[in-house]
Amino acid sequence: MPAYNSTFAADAQNDRMVGNVVLLPLKTNFRGPAYQANSDYDIIDECLDLFRANSFFKNFEVRSSADRVLIYGILFVNECLSQLRPSTSYNEALKLLTNVALDDFAVPGTPGFPLNNVYSVPVQNHADMDLLKSYIQQFRQELAMRLLERLYMESKEKPSKFWLAFTRRRFMNKSL
Amino acid sequence: MSYLNNPAIVMDNGTGLTKLGFAGNDSPSWVFPTAIATAQRSATKSGGSGASSSTMQNQSAPYFGNSTSATSFNSLASAALMSNNLAGKRGTEDLDFYIGNEALSAAQGPSYSLSYPIRHGQVENWDHMERFWENSIFKYLRTEPEDHFFLLTEPPLNPPENREQVAEIFFESFNCAGLYIAVQAVLALAASWTSSKVVDRSLTGTVIDSGDGVTHVIPVAEGYVIGSAIKNIPIAGRDITLFIQSLLRERGEEDTTLRTAERIKQEYCYVCSDIVKEFNKFDRDSEKFAQFIVENTEKTKRKVIDVGYERFLAPEIFFNPEIASSDFLTPLPTVVDQTIQACPIDVRKGLYNNIVLSGGSTMFKDFGRRLQRDLKGLVNNRIALSESLSGTRSTGVDVQVISHRRQRNAVWFGGSLLAQTAEFKGYCHTKKDYEEIGPEIVRNFSLFNMV
Repeated sequence: MPAYNSTFAADAQNDRMVGNVVLLPLKTNFRGPAYQANSDYDIIDECLDLFRANSFFKNFEVRSSADRVLIYGILFVNECLSQLRPSTSYNEALKLLTNVALDDFAVPGTPGFPLNNVYSVPVQNHADMDLLKSYIQQFRQELAMRLLERLYMESKEKPSKFWLAFTRRRFMNKSL
Repeated sequence: MSYLNNPAIVMDNGTGLTKLGFAGNDSPSWVFPTAIATAQRSATKSGGSGASSSTMQNQSAPYFGNSTSATSFNSLASAALMSNNLAGKRGTEDLDFYIGNEALSAAQGPSYSLSYPIRHGQVENWDHMERFWENSIFKYLRTEPEDHFFLLTEPPLNPPENREQVAEIFFESFNCAGLYIAVQAVLALAASWTSSKVVDRSLTGTVIDSGDGVTHVIPVAEGYVIGSAIKNIPIAGRDITLFIQSLLRERGEEDTTLRTAERIKQEYCYVCSDIVKEFNKFDRDSEKFAQFIVENTEKTKRKVIDVGYERFLAPEIFFNPEIASSDFLTPLPTVVDQTIQACPIDVRKGLYNNIVLSGGSTMFKDFGRRLQRDLKGLVNNRIALSESLSGTRSTGVDVQVISHRRQRNAVWFGGSLLAQTAEFKGYCHTKKDYEEIGPEIVRNFSLFNMV
C-alpha cells in the first residue's frame, strides 16, 4: 500500500488553477483569495490527518493537482514542528507559528523551492503568481492554527510528544 | 525393545531458537537460543577452581527457563560466569561448553566464545552442532537416545548430504533408536489442523514462516515443497524491534534499549486495517496510548515509557515495508501472491485456500485478517481483469488465511502431532536399517498421509 493521496477532486475546468496547482476552498477566517469551503472537511484537515502516515514515505505518486497542495501542507507541518521544543507552551507556540506562517517563503515553482519538478506554474504571469502567493500565505496561516489545536489538545503547557516525534521524519525526503 | 512405549523426541533447531520436547505435548519443554559457547583454546584455565558446585547449581537454575528471544541481552550478563569444575581437573576441553541461555551468559566472560551453529536455517558447523545436540539430549531432555525415536526438522531445500550427516551423528554418535527428518513447512501445515477453519487435513498450502531473521513464503503441494517458488522477505522480528527502537528514540523516551523495544513488540503491538484511521482513533481515544514500565535490575528506580503509534506501526512494516526500509519495498501480501502465481496452475487454488502462519512474528493480533483482506484484494483485481479481457465468468478463488493458537511454535507442535501417532515409527528409519544400508537411507522419507 503506497502513501495516501488526496481525496479532493480537482477539475481543471471548474476549479481555480495556477499552473498545475489547484486553489482548493478553505474554511478559514484569515483573509486571502481562497473561497469558503462548503463542507466540514477541507484540504487542511486532510493535510493534518495524512501528515503522520505520509511522513513515513519517501516515494509519493502525484495523481491530481490536489496532491500538490497536500505535499505543500505536509512539508509545512513538518516545518512548524521543527520550530517547537518539547517544553514550548501554547502561547509561545502561537507566537512562533504565526511568525513562521507569515515569514517570507519560496513560492512553488520559483528558485529556492525544493520540489520544483512536481510544480509547474507560470512564473512570467505576475497576476497568477501573486494569487498563488497570497493563497499559500492564507493556507499557511490556517494550517498553523489548526495544527496548534491538535498539538495542544491534551494540555496547554506542552505540545504532544507523539506529534513532535515526527519532526525528524522527512516526507519525500524533502523539507521546506 | 524398551523404546516401543517411549514418546518420540521432537527437536526443532531454528536459526534463532531451538525447541525441544516430547511428542504428544502441547508445547516444547525447552526453548532456548541455538547458541553454543566453547572454551577458547588460547584462554588460560582460570575460572575453573573458583566457583563451588553449590553456587553453580543456584546460578544455573534460571537459565533453564524458556526464552522468547534469540538475542542476548545485558541482564544475563549480570549473572556471574559459570565455570565447569570437571574441565579443570581432567583436561577434557571438548566437554567444556555451554548451550542455550547458559552459553549467552558464559560468553560474557573472557574464556568462552559464542557461536551460532545454524545459519539461515542450515547447519554450518557440524562439530558445534553435534555438541549442541549432545547437551540437548543429556542435559536438558535427560533421556537415553537408544530408547527414543527422534523427529528432527530441516529447512526447505536442505541438501541431502546434510541429512546424511545428521543421520551419521544420530545413529553413530548417539545410537538413537530411530530417526525421521521432516521439512519445517510441512510440519507447520500439520500444526494448522488444530484450527477449526481447517476441514480436510491436507498437506497442501502456503506457509508463511516468520521468525527473528527472515520471513519465508513456502508453497507445499501434497506434502512436497515447491522449491522453485519459495520466496524470502528480509523483514522479520528483529526488524520490527529495531523499528520500534527508532520510534522510541525519535520521541526521546527514557529507555530505548532493544530489550524494551522487544517487550513492547510482544505485549502491545497489533495490526490495524488502515494507518490513517488508526491515527485518528488514537486522537479520539487516549486510552489507546499505553504505558510500559521498565523494571530496573536493582529495582530502585522505575522508568515509565509511553507507548504510542508504534503499537500498530511496527507490524505495519510487513504490509508497507517502505515505512521502515528503503531497499525492500514489496508488501507481504504481494509476495505471497507472486509465490502462488509461480506454482503450477492446478495447485494454486489449494495454495490460496490454505495459507498457514507460523513463527513468533506472525503472532500479532489481526495479522491473519489483514493478510487475507489484502491478498483477496489482489486476487479479485486480477480475476476482474481477466474476466473483462476474456469475457468469461470465473468460478472465483477462495483466499483463506489460517491462524491458530499454536502459531508461535507451529513447527515443533506439528512435529509433536505427527510423532505421537501410532504410524510414526513405521515411517522412521531405524538403527537396524541404517546399519544395513548406510547413511544414504535418509535421503528419502515417506510422507505422512494422515486422513
